[in-house]
Amino acid sequence: MKERIGVYICHCGGNISDYVDVEELSKMFYKEDNIVVSKNVMFVCADSSQKAMIADIQEYKLDAIVVCSCSPKLHLHTFRNVAACAGLNPFNYVQVNIREQCSWPHSDHPHEATVKAAGLIRAGINRVSHSESLENIEIEVKKSALIIGAGVAGMKAAIELARSGNEVFLVEKDYFVGGHIAQKGQLFMSDQEGKDVITSLYHEIKKYPNITLFTGSTIEKVSGSLGSFHIELKVKPRYINPRVDKQTVKSVMDECPIEIDDPFNLGLVKRKVIYKNYPEALPDLPVVDAEALKVFPDFVAKYKSVLNLTEEEQIISLMAGSVLVTTGYDDYLPKEGEFGYKTLENVITLPELNRLMELNPNKLVYGGKEIKSIAFIYCVGSRQSKGENRFCSRQCCTSAIYTSLQLKKKYKDIQAYHIYRDIRTYGKQEVLYEQSSKQGDLYFKYEEKEMPVIEREGKSLIVKIKDYLTARKQLEIETDMVVLVTGMMPRKDALQISELFKIPVGSDRFFNEIHPKLKPVETVIKGVYIAGACQGPKNITESVQSSLAATSKIIALLKKGSFSADPIIARIDMDACSWCDKCAEVCDYSALKMIEMNGKMVAGVNKAMCAGCGICAPVCPENAIEIAQYTDKEIEAMIDGFLAKLEINEKEGGSDSTPKESAIRMEEYPQVWKEILAVMKDGKYTIPQIAENSKLNSELVTYHLMTMNKYGIVVPDGMDDKEMYYYYKENEDSH
Amino acid sequence: MSKVNPKFAIELSKYGSNDFHACFNCGNCTATCSLSNAEDSFPRELIRYATLGLENELKASLKPWECYYCGDCSIQCPRQAEPGELMMSLRRWLTSKYDWTGLSGVFYRSLSVTILAFVLIFAAVLILADSFAWNLQNMMHVGHLFEMTVIFMVLLVIFIPNLLRMWYFTILKPNVKAHPKIYFIALSDLFVHMFTQKRMKDCETKDNFRWLEHFILVIAYLSLLFTTVFLNWFNTESLFVVILGYVESFFIFIITIDFVSSRINKNKALNKFSQLSDWLFVIWLMIMGLTAFFVRLFIDTGIIENNKWVYIIHFTILAQWALIIVPFGKWTHFLYRSFAMYFSKIKSLAIAQ
Ligand SMILES: Cc1cc2nc3c(=O)[nH]c(=O)nc-3n(C[C@H](O)[C@H](O)[C@H](O)COP(=O)(O)OP(=O)(O)OC[C@H]3O[C@@H](n4cnc5c(N)ncnc54)[C@H](O)[C@@H]3O)c2cc1C
Ligand code: SF4
Ligand code: SF4
Ligand code: SF4
Ligand code: SF4
Repeated sequence: MKERIGVYICHCGGNISDYVDVEELSKMFYKEDNIVVSKNVMFVCADSSQKAMIADIQEYKLDAIVVCSCSPKLHLHTFRNVAACAGLNPFNYVQVNIREQCSWPHSDHPHEATVKAAGLIRAGINRVSHSESLENIEIEVKKSALIIGAGVAGMKAAIELARSGNEVFLVEKDYFVGGHIAQKGQLFMSDQEGKDVITSLYHEIKKYPNITLFTGSTIEKVSGSLGSFHIELKVKPRYINPRVDKQTVKSVMDECPIEIDDPFNLGLVKRKVIYKNYPEALPDLPVVDAEALKVFPDFVAKYKSVLNLTEEEQIISLMAGSVLVTTGYDDYLPKEGEFGYKTLENVITLPELNRLMELNPNKLVYGGKEIKSIAFIYCVGSRQSKGENRFCSRQCCTSAIYTSLQLKKKYKDIQAYHIYRDIRTYGKQEVLYEQSSKQGDLYFKYEEKEMPVIEREGKSLIVKIKDYLTARKQLEIETDMVVLVTGMMPRKDALQISELFKIPVGSDRFFNEIHPKLKPVETVIKGVYIAGACQGPKNITESVQSSLAATSKIIALLKKGSFSADPIIARIDMDACSWCDKCAEVCDYSALKMIEMNGKMVAGVNKAMCAGCGICAPVCPENAIEIAQYTDKEIEAMIDGFLAKLEINEKEGGSDSTPKESAIRMEEYPQVWKEILAVMKDGKYTIPQIAENSKLNSELVTYHLMTMNKYGIVVPDGMDDKEMYYYYKENEDSH
Repeated sequence: MSKVNPKFAIELSKYGSNDFHACFNCGNCTATCSLSNAEDSFPRELIRYATLGLENELKASLKPWECYYCGDCSIQCPRQAEPGELMMSLRRWLTSKYDWTGLSGVFYRSLSVTILAFVLIFAAVLILADSFAWNLQNMMHVGHLFEMTVIFMVLLVIFIPNLLRMWYFTILKPNVKAHPKIYFIALSDLFVHMFTQKRMKDCETKDNFRWLEHFILVIAYLSLLFTTVFLNWFNTESLFVVILGYVESFFIFIITIDFVSSRINKNKALNKFSQLSDWLFVIWLMIMGLTAFFVRLFIDTGIIENNKWVYIIHFTILAQWALIIVPFGKWTHFLYRSFAMYFSKIKSLAIAQ
């Protein structure tokens, strides 16, 4: 039990004290036995107030403090620091929120607001008197990072992490690195070739011996937590002897008799069963599709020095201090019949067109016929007001327009039609839109409720649309090819990763960061970060930006070698626990595991993983679990405190202090205000000027001026030329 | 259901406009245009039709004639699509569509054919003069007869059929049902617009000076025509007619000089892009005024017999003007514009019924 408690009740410059009678409250609590200091303060968070608190704690040897002001979201850490500076354990402090919970919501009932505040403060005092001193939990962090997915986001992150001296494990599911970019030709806005970008990133990766790249590999098992994740990888074999020289391998590839559908080229062409995605694909070692080759034993026997079909999968274990997930996206695949996809010839998707252009350097030929006109239909699979993909895929407008510019450059005489819902070529990409219009591309606007219809008429396709740019006229466009501008989708196998690492997914099924603005690459799982298009649609610039943001977070984490976590976590009463498993079942963070303690099986808490959510405590039949700072003792004492009877005198005329009336009752204002106004009589002044002219302390001037501003007695009037201070002047209307 | 025709842009570019593809349909032009209104909204709508190559919609539209090329829209366009210039080009294109002979289109599109026609007329004048053994009296007499005949022929053979075609495209084909009474009521609009160019004064960026210049030019031109053809200026004894002719040709010359110089300086949006037809129109009008002035001056000073060439030049200019520029060139805009106002009045009255 704490015996020497300090209570600080804040006016918040009138925000609280206009409704809650803070003076009465501070007097009331001062009378209590275990309370040594009880003050009401104009702004408890002001520097001077903090200094005064530190002095109080030391002078009166306080053993706990209660700060009654605003939400702990704002100032929890401020006052924990105050306590720490004064030599008090930061966990012997309790924050009571009497602004958001009393003065603001109950401004129409000031007396009741005061009663409620008194109850909350009493509860806070009771809680703090049972508080324990706690220490932050220090967790050791291994200097290694696991990156899942070697697309542009993952590759760039690997390089930066390795550059600052960390061990990096880069795991790629495919046999070749690069992700989607490797499939594209030239990229907007840099005009570089996708595969060139990948090649240069790969060569840079190879310069760092501290990067280990695993291709054809997937994550099978994950345990551990921030600081030391234990990972099990499955590495699929390439079934080819890596020691054989390239020339021989190439001749075997050429001689290979079987061809199957080529997923890298989206089924546009066939590929050998000994293959590389594209000739320059990296790592520069082909892969054998062993299943398909099994039916040709003669061929296998002939080249048994090169082919190694008996090679086996490997399971590899790794330890990583932190994890970065950069698994990217899937292209939306239209349903059969969606805008004629798969049911009409010459209806393909944008990624397919991109591959087709790569495969046709001189003349755009599809199905044996030269293509002279293309109609792009936008937003296919995105922005579905009724479907599951409500999001905008963000890069497809630019991508379609950029492709159209490429078409003209590459094949000269080709007419493009763009049938869009909205054009979203934000930022610098807008210039591409203008270029495309000026080169003679035609634009049409449709609405989701009146989708374009595609029909075949002789050798051509006819797109029928209700064009919103031509007063919704019915138009017909004759074209050789229709290209569906498909959007980005969450990976089909994203759920597996989400389950392994417990990364939450949003309603859009992409991985969710904690906060899109303030914690854009962090997940609720400590030590696990996300970046690139696995978070949601992004172009390369944006993917790499997020990847570098995550990288710098990880570097900071690994550099320290340790991580300091809040001690507010679950603890197990070993004697009471009978390991029934109920708590582990409900824990969303997998923080509870069975451990052996003095020969007995009990629940053990992984301190790095526990989030202190408290779900486990009520399910334990033995009541063996409590959460630090939320122990039964503390909670029960709070309830008692809140329910205790209180006698508070109602403040006279407390309920009618609206700003307007305050302004009229000028004579009643304190002397300080009159002094300030006297200085301000003939013009506008900054706070330092007022302080100097009135000979008042500048902090005092600040407090009062802010309150006067709130009541409309003074008003701001521009800034000084250094833009450091606001000018204030008397408000004419207040007379 | 209308079919999109991207090739139309190539055709239209021969009549001047090249930049309209840049349009992204923001509508700023329509919002700025002080002549456009809720019922008759342009120029964006026409840019849209032109971009998509919807020829039927364009042919049925009277809106291109409602624009007086103040150029405000082109100044406001965020994509430099030059909507004002497109309106101008559409007027040229429409002229060629109304013209049953197809010659308007040929002259608009081809510089060499135009030059050839001018040269041929010059040669014909020389041959004619030669056949009269360069006798000035006879030549002037023939010139006078020629002027009279051509006026009536052009009216009969070219203008009336072309106006009928215009009526067919814009009223009959789009199925506007107008009672004959309406045709009569709307007549007042036709004359007001023909002689005053009233709409030009409705422009917000009112250029009253330009309007006045234009107004005086039309009046001076029409009355000079009257003075030479019906009052026989070159042959009259009446001092009043002589002075009247001087004044008229003087005004024509002064105003056209100003028009030419502003085309050269490109100081107004409407002068930014000048096509051959625009140059021919003002320059020929200018020389016509000038040579008429000198012919009469030479007669009055008695030196005409020794300077027959003045009349030869005047006659050549007159013939080129009357045979090419009037029936197939920019002169027709004067006519079509007034009739467009007339037809659109008929349309709106018919709809109101
Ligand atoms: C048609 C189209 C054209 C585009 N053109 C451009 C352009 O010109 N310019 C531009 O800036 N952007 C463009 N983009 C966007 C660009 O493709 C993305 O921004 C970029 O690919 C995102 O990179 P990423 O690394 O996040 O994901 P990805 O490229 O998808 O890479 C993810 C990688 O992770 C691997 N992976 C996935 N799951 C696992 C797993 N479970 N285990 C191991 N590995 C896994 C994948 O195999 C892949 O290699 C285009 C997009 C489309 C759809
Ligand atoms: S970027 Fe454009 S095409 Fe893609 S979903 Fe958004 S609006 Fe549609
Ligand atoms: S407090 Fe929450 S996170 Fe911690 S062990 Fe209990 S259920 Fe798991
Ligand atoms: S202002 Fe320019 S871009 Fe906008 S609609 Fe008019 S022509 Fe098109
Ligand atoms: S030039 Fe003037 S009158 Fe013609 S469309 Fe543009 S704004 Fe209207």
